[in-house]
Amino acid sequence: MEVILTALVISAGIALAAAGITIIYMSTETFNFAHASFTTIGFFVVYNMLLVFGGSPYYYFIFAAIFTGLVGVAVYLTVNRWLIKRGADMVTLMMSTLGVDLILFGLINQWADIIRDTIPGSSPRNFLLRTIDYPVAEIGGTTVYARVPISIAIVILIIIGLHTFLTRTKFGIAMRTTIENPTLAKIMGVNTEMVYLTAWFLGGALAGLGGAVLSMIETGSPQVGVRYIVPLFAGSIVGGLYSVFGSLLGGFLIGLSQQIGIYVLSLWVGTFINAYKPVIPLVIMVVALLFFPEGLGALAEKYLARRGVKK
Amino acid sequence: MAIVIPPFLIEILLTLGIFLIITVSLNFEVGYAGIPQFGRVLTVLVGAIVAAAIPGRLLVLMAGITVEFRGEEIVPYGAEYANHLVNFRLVDQINTQILGVNPGLSIVMFIVTLILAAIFGAIIGYLTSYPALRLREAYLGITLLAFGDALQLIALNYDPLVGATQGVFVPNFFLWVGATQTSAKIIAILIVAALIYVLVHFWVNSPFGRSLKAMRDSEQAAEVYGKNVPRLRGYTLMIGGALAAIGGALWVIYTGSMDARTFNRLTWTFWPWAFMMLGGTGSHKGMLVGVFFFALFRYLIFAYKGVLEPFIPISIQWLEYILIGLIIVLVSMFRPQGLLPEKPRTLLPKERVEELAKASA
Repeated sequence: MEVILTALVISAGIALAAAGITIIYMSTETFNFAHASFTTIGFFVVYNMLLVFGGSPYYYFIFAAIFTGLVGVAVYLTVNRWLIKRGADMVTLMMSTLGVDLILFGLINQWADIIRDTIPGSSPRNFLLRTIDYPVAEIGGTTVYARVPISIAIVILIIIGLHTFLTRTKFGIAMRTTIENPTLAKIMGVNTEMVYLTAWFLGGALAGLGGAVLSMIETGSPQVGVRYIVPLFAGSIVGGLYSVFGSLLGGFLIGLSQQIGIYVLSLWVGTFINAYKPVIPLVIMVVALLFFPEGLGALAEKYLARRGVKK
Repeated sequence: MAIVIPPFLIEILLTLGIFLIITVSLNFEVGYAGIPQFGRVLTVLVGAIVAAAIPGRLLVLMAGITVEFRGEEIVPYGAEYANHLVNFRLVDQINTQILGVNPGLSIVMFIVTLILAAIFGAIIGYLTSYPALRLREAYLGITLLAFGDALQLIALNYDPLVGATQGVFVPNFFLWVGATQTSAKIIAILIVAALIYVLVHFWVNSPFGRSLKAMRDSEQAAEVYGKNVPRLRGYTLMIGGALAAIGGALWVIYTGSMDARTFNRLTWTFWPWAFMMLGGTGSHKGMLVGVFFFALFRYLIFAYKGVLEPFIPISIQWLEYILIGLIIVLVSMFRPQGLLPEKPRTLLPKERVEELAKASA
């Protein structure tokens, strides 16, 4: 039970951040390595604000999202926009975000040092917010903490919000048009710059939110994003890279299979296998790439189409 | 070998030698064949594992060294070799009793280790051609990155191989040199690096190298001219893997110990990418420039740490990441061709090409 609850929270975090990768990839064709640092920034915003203002960590989730979203916008304006205008290829775009990631990684470490030096009793290289969570219910002897319903609620809210935004608002529809055919969108008078900017904001915000959710269960440190980047990419790729909802699904699949799969395996073959937990997303990702390159999103669509459900 | 390298040069030459090998191997795959190798650490680690796991065991078997392990006298060539209670005594015995008194054997074993590393690196490199034939661009990059991470995890957790987090010691092939052994190691590394540099220079200017470039620029065109693209990609990954493995093996031979934690993707994949981009992707001379510039630059920041520190608000340790990141970003934004860009090569002399161009115009 404990395992399932933990898995749910981690999966929610991975799913949110993976959706962020997908949004940025869909609109600007950039595989964003900086998502590692974006996620870490989510952790640190929550931790830093908690240290300064106190109260419940959940108050600061929204700030984590907004701040990381603005970092995303800054990355777009300084680096990504220039490269897209120059028509850089996919690998160059990817490399440039790697450079950004290293810069952010250095800055986050400096930030951690500043927290350590200015706030007595803080431990920015090893903090655990799990311990200050509130118990909300009990199921079969296992205490359910607030992080479980809250993280699920955030994912549901994001799904509803994004769906409404993308299908019911004019700008959301313009955004989808730009993703499908940028040239045509420009001809129709869509401000594609604004679309890319929004995509980077949303991508960053989702990463920050994912980081905030993960901070409620995972030990925080400047390295946390570096560890999580592969599951994040895995979630996004398994989801098909061209569908935000596919990547939310993919994130959940990766998170659940990583957490629950390793638990089942450890019962079955022995606890030594626990150390290989990070291999699971790698395997799923490689299998997905080699055998279902179009991803879960496309598979789900095919299934729905077969059942006669229209998009 | 009584040459003594001054200490300040050791750091620079070490970075130069090791990373020249790795960056050249990376450029071979990325710059010439167009494979986005984001998993360079994979074969580097293979080389390190080979150097840490095989020569010591071979020497133990050859000399029949026995140790006491769990109350029994055994010849430890299996999992016991990597046990942290046995390994340090064992490698010490190997060093002092066999390698230290036998220069000829030491040199032979050193070369054998490098050859073994290259062979295993080539095998693993060839295995990665399975996804490399099926995926494109960023997808392939991410997959290769995943392979690198997976091998690091295995090396970190499967202790019979190289002692997992405890690590193992690597036999010292230069103990017989005596007091100047560090200099001897550096010289050996530089010799190997120079050999590889020259070898790759000839490779990339051979018909093979030209067909790689053709494949990079247009797979279809290369296929039309009868080039077997899948086979070319396989060979590239084999050669690149073998070279990188030699780099990894040399590194652990230099440090004398193998710790899988140090083989992270940042140092062994992303740094070489930064050097390569700085020097000029696809330019062989550029690799030398990129790595040299970097080795010097890195040394200077650390050497003048005390002088710099009061002027900047960021500690040097983190500044290094920021600067490497900045180099990557700025190079990809403003000088994607690098410091020493790749020059188009003509098969005929320049004048002849110009003449022909005039005649046809």
